[in-house]
Amino acid sequence: MEGKVDTRYWRFCLWMGPTFVLVFFLCWGVLGHNFPPFPPDTPASEVAGWFRENHNGVKLGMVIAMTFAPAYGVWGYALAKILGQVIRDEHNIIVQLARLGAAWTTMAILIATSFWLTAAFRPDALPDWMIQLLYDMAWLLIDLAYAVTSVQLFALGIGFLADKREVPLIPKWLAWYGIWVGFMFAAECLMPYFMNGAFARNGILNFWIEFLIWMVWVPYLTICGFKAIGRIEQE
Amino acid sequence: MREAVQADLASANSQSATDDTIPPGDSGVWVFIIADMCAFALFFVLFAAGRIAQPEVYEASRQQLDGAIGLANTLILLTSGAFMAQAVRAARKGNRAATLSGLGLALGVGLLFGITKAFEWSAKLNQGIGLTTNEFFTYYFVFTGIHFLHFVVGIGVLFALIARVRKFDLDTTQQRWIESGGAYWHMVDLLWIVLFAMLYLMRAA
Repeated sequence: MEGKVDTRYWRFCLWMGPTFVLVFFLCWGVLGHNFPPFPPDTPASEVAGWFRENHNGVKLGMVIAMTFAPAYGVWGYALAKILGQVIRDEHNIIVQLARLGAAWTTMAILIATSFWLTAAFRPDALPDWMIQLLYDMAWLLIDLAYAVTSVQLFALGIGFLADKREVPLIPKWLAWYGIWVGFMFAAECLMPYFMNGAFARNGILNFWIEFLIWMVWVPYLTICGFKAIGRIEQE
Repeated sequence: MREAVQADLASANSQSATDDTIPPGDSGVWVFIIADMCAFALFFVLFAAGRIAQPEVYEASRQQLDGAIGLANTLILLTSGAFMAQAVRAARKGNRAATLSGLGLALGVGLLFGITKAFEWSAKLNQGIGLTTNEFFTYYFVFTGIHFLHFVVGIGVLFALIARVRKFDLDTTQQRWIESGGAYWHMVDLLWIVLFAMLYLMRAA
């Protein structure tokens, strides 16, 4: 690749990753009562009662979460630009897959959050079971859409491993960590079979471990991304 | 004379670069392995906590497992792992034919694990024992299922290594690939050994 790479806006786009994680945690997680979620065996009346009492908070949380959902895609595109410099080919299929994985993840987040928002839209007019249905549907979608995020994780991981530089732009251990996170996400397939315990949607594996290993990956990859941009500008 | 000594030193250095590299293989792959072992360590803690809470259920369920098949699976993976180690040694010596035969045997023996596992799971399902029978069998199916996923990835890695050895020269990059694949395959062995002891052998009450 010849000539100086135009890296304007790359840093801004990279900031969108940690921004998304923070906003999503506060709005979707705290305001939306999703961090941790209601256990699947919670009675419908309890879930519905909570939505009726806190519908304004949930609405606010989901509206902001939906507004910031594209930030994940923007961050993913910035990483794909760095990946293009790592393997020195913007049109390589791995770069395209990294972009697609980020875009698909954004769509999955948007659709899932719209279900929680629907539950909070007019909860007094909805029967308990319907609010529970929307809550379950949102959780089943956001968890089982793990595979689209895994596409991004695998593409970035495999692409970063292909770096021929003596000191890779992104550390190899982080590339492997990302692949491992994508691999671990497969445990989400167990979630629909459990109403409680470690593999339920609020369980130690399918909630705490899965979300935390991804939430660590985003900011750490962002920090390494900033360093990589500096090196790309000097090359 | 001096040139000969230098050549010897160079040879010794190149030997140590491949033989004594700690850890063997790509250092990044160890991040994957360590992270994975941590996840399994958490599984083992969950299982231990469950067994303390319900020792009778766990012991009665353990006795329903076929220890002979569990032992056969252990021996299959250990044998396959030994062939993998042979392939790594051969690759370090630059012996392409021995590397290929080691990898081929590791793959061939390893595939038997898939057959016995399918046989064991189908027998359990035919007996009416499934994922939700009780907590012991939930852990049994989930842990052995996740381990099986690792096994399938390992089989894919072995196929890929055989293809690479056939296509490319056995240079240091190739050796590193084979060492990395070997480290992963041994992790699959190790995790199974712990699963075998925990699920099939350890008495709860």
